[in-house]
Amino acid sequence: MSVHFSETRTVRGACPQDCPDTCAFLYHVEDGVLVEVTGDPEHPMTRGGLCVKLKNFAEHHYNPDRLLHPMRRVGPKGSGQFERTTWEDALAEIRTRWTEIISEYGAEAIVPHSYLGHQGTLNGLTSGDALFNRLGATVAEKTYCESGSSTAWIMTVGPTGGLDVESLEYAKYIIVWGMNMLNTNLHAWPFIMKARANGAKVVVIDPVRTRTAKQADWHIRIKPGTDAALALGMMNIIIQENLFDADYVQKYTLGFDQLAKRAAEFPPDRVQQISGVAPQDLIQLAREYATVQPSAIREGVSVERSPGGGDAIRAISALPALVGAWRHVGGGAVEMPIWEFPFKLDFMCRPDWIRPGTRVINELDLGPALTGLLPLDPPIKSLFVYNSNPVSQAPAAGQVVSGLEREDLFTVVSELFVTDTAKYADILLPAAMQAEQYDLMVTWGHLYMMLNQPAIRPPGECVPNIEMFRRLARAMGFDDEYWSLPLDEMLLRSYDWSAPQMEGITLDKLKQRGYMRLNVGAPDVRAPHAKGNFKTPSGKCEFASSAAEAGNFVVPVWRSGYEGMQPRTYVDPVPNYIPPVDAMGATSSADFPLSLVSPKPHAFLNTQYGNELTQQRRQGEQLLVIHPIDAATRHIEAGDYVHVYNNRGSFDARAEISEDVSEGILMTNVGHWPGLTRSGTAVNSTTPPRHSNLGQAGTFSDNLVNVKKV
Amino acid sequence: MPHVVTDNCNSCRYTDCVTTCPVACFHLSDERAYIDPEVCIDCSACIPACPVHAIVESIDLEPEQQHWIEINAREAKRYPVVSGKLPPLNGADARRSELGY
Repeated sequence: MSVHFSETRTVRGACPQDCPDTCAFLYHVEDGVLVEVTGDPEHPMTRGGLCVKLKNFAEHHYNPDRLLHPMRRVGPKGSGQFERTTWEDALAEIRTRWTEIISEYGAEAIVPHSYLGHQGTLNGLTSGDALFNRLGATVAEKTYCESGSSTAWIMTVGPTGGLDVESLEYAKYIIVWGMNMLNTNLHAWPFIMKARANGAKVVVIDPVRTRTAKQADWHIRIKPGTDAALALGMMNIIIQENLFDADYVQKYTLGFDQLAKRAAEFPPDRVQQISGVAPQDLIQLAREYATVQPSAIREGVSVERSPGGGDAIRAISALPALVGAWRHVGGGAVEMPIWEFPFKLDFMCRPDWIRPGTRVINELDLGPALTGLLPLDPPIKSLFVYNSNPVSQAPAAGQVVSGLEREDLFTVVSELFVTDTAKYADILLPAAMQAEQYDLMVTWGHLYMMLNQPAIRPPGECVPNIEMFRRLARAMGFDDEYWSLPLDEMLLRSYDWSAPQMEGITLDKLKQRGYMRLNVGAPDVRAPHAKGNFKTPSGKCEFASSAAEAGNFVVPVWRSGYEGMQPRTYVDPVPNYIPPVDAMGATSSADFPLSLVSPKPHAFLNTQYGNELTQQRRQGEQLLVIHPIDAATRHIEAGDYVHVYNNRGSFDARAEISEDVSEGILMTNVGHWPGLTRSGTAVNSTTPPRHSNLGQAGTFSDNLVNVKKV
Repeated sequence: MPHVVTDNCNSCRYTDCVTTCPVACFHLSDERAYIDPEVCIDCSACIPACPVHAIVESIDLEPEQQHWIEINAREAKRYPVVSGKLPPLNGADARRSELGY
């Protein structure tokens, strides 16, 4: 009789997802099998719980649909018909095709496409930058999310971490501005609940009565894309009623007179006309925000997703300095604390390899760029997609699909599953999942270094992105030291470990503990701008931005470290309200009278987990939330299938009739796999391939449509 | 899908769940806990915290447990939110052994 003792072990990891919470994982492994992934109870933000999205993360690694081997297309583009091939043959084919393309069109005809499908230092946003820079490829501007906010934030306060979400506990007045935190920043919510238990008021500004809005003390409904008008209107009241912190403004800000002049252009009646916020609400909000200190703003990324989104973030980011909120622990604004981490982009992205004058193509222009609507010389002849799923996530998805159908386009996709984008690949490369790889996570919502250690071996022939790019580099004949450094050496060179905020933090300690907080002061004492110390050229909070003179720019982290070929379009030194313009040629709003917003889903992380049956049950099918009046005029009843359309495209959804949206506003979620929906399309079939005024962010929320019953 | 507190909580009310909940969706009567389905964000942090395995995600409920969805939704509205741990009810440990945990 044999007795089997199973071997059980726990490995420390970290969540790979594009989410501000970057949770600390415990991987539970039995006999080499990942049986469960739980949240680390010791981590101050994770607190032992993950989220609905990650609930079946262990099983996700064993999903039978995982892409396990390199594949080669055998059917028509988009048919999803592939045959297995070897890494050697796949790499050889890529080498042959790229060599031909480079010789005929030049290396700029090769374009990478990636975003934050993985958030690691080695395998995430920047993991392919060095290869494509070395190759001489077009630099892809990765502005799916946060780029508009990054530019706006840096123009106003500089690359500072700003307010720590953990310090929200000490605030007395909290505005959650354009963020459904319970869906997308869950692990920061307990700090808000603590603040509230100590008497803080919580205000949510959002066009939709979200889960988070329902929990707030006060929900202020705002029309999409009008946030700058509200922020400037608040400033107008604060300045007129002398509620601003004159001493702070005098010592630590730049351009108050210009700001006051701009704010005066936004009296309450005009703000109401633009934003829909009633004068009495505006006045109350402004007074409370200015006088109840510490006041804090949790800035959501959604604010940037409109033509004037960049200036809206600038205006909102200027508010705390105006009222002196930064003086206090718990006061100020939370945007993205990533700027506290001492990255060495020069090493991570190798911008020194970019040939001077190399062109830049913005990723949100993928449809126009592939279909010739955006004139390009040379044209794009090869697309390499990793960490992203543009058929679902890019705007004007119909154009993206048309472009991917081009027979002369050589498309390579690295993926976990055969996504809607991967279906169009000529070559598919199998990627490793988080429990199978080593990485130091890049976090953008808290102040901890988070190490992910591999718990299991990758299945089949899956490899981490860093290994894939090394194989590609070797295939292309590159023999630089960069492609063979040990992974720890890569991490050591990717950060300035001697920076003051890294004192005491080492890779060895991270391997033991899993995570360590940057030395930037504890949440109960940290007040980074109590005495100014902004990271702008003037050292002050710049109401009138000195960076505006050089025009619009994308922060280099979103463009492979490249400083060249910036958009440099005009930027007003003082933030202004720039109205949403869904200017679809000659069409008028009479054809498409409804404004559609498409926030992130509850049970998926963008499209990740959208192919898991359990997650589909949790998320439900594609819903369209419509106001009772808009539904009645279209004879739409609850549960009806409806067709949502404009002249860019369409999708079908099931109607949910609710006053959670205002009349004239619709809400659906992005993230449903287009190929799994009723119409074969999803919301981004209708969104415009245009940009916000700053940082080339997308304008997903500036989307006019109409709806009819199917 | 929202989570529900089922049978096993009756006469136990250990309240370990309330300390793990990131959104304070637990409402307590004198006898037991209920989850407000409009507040629950489906994270499951409470499930392993419950010593008597009383909490279930609604999609995992057995057919004979379906009534708990309606009971939680209704009763949560009647009782106050509690977000700090309370002592278990008298006899909780006995009931826990009875339940086999």
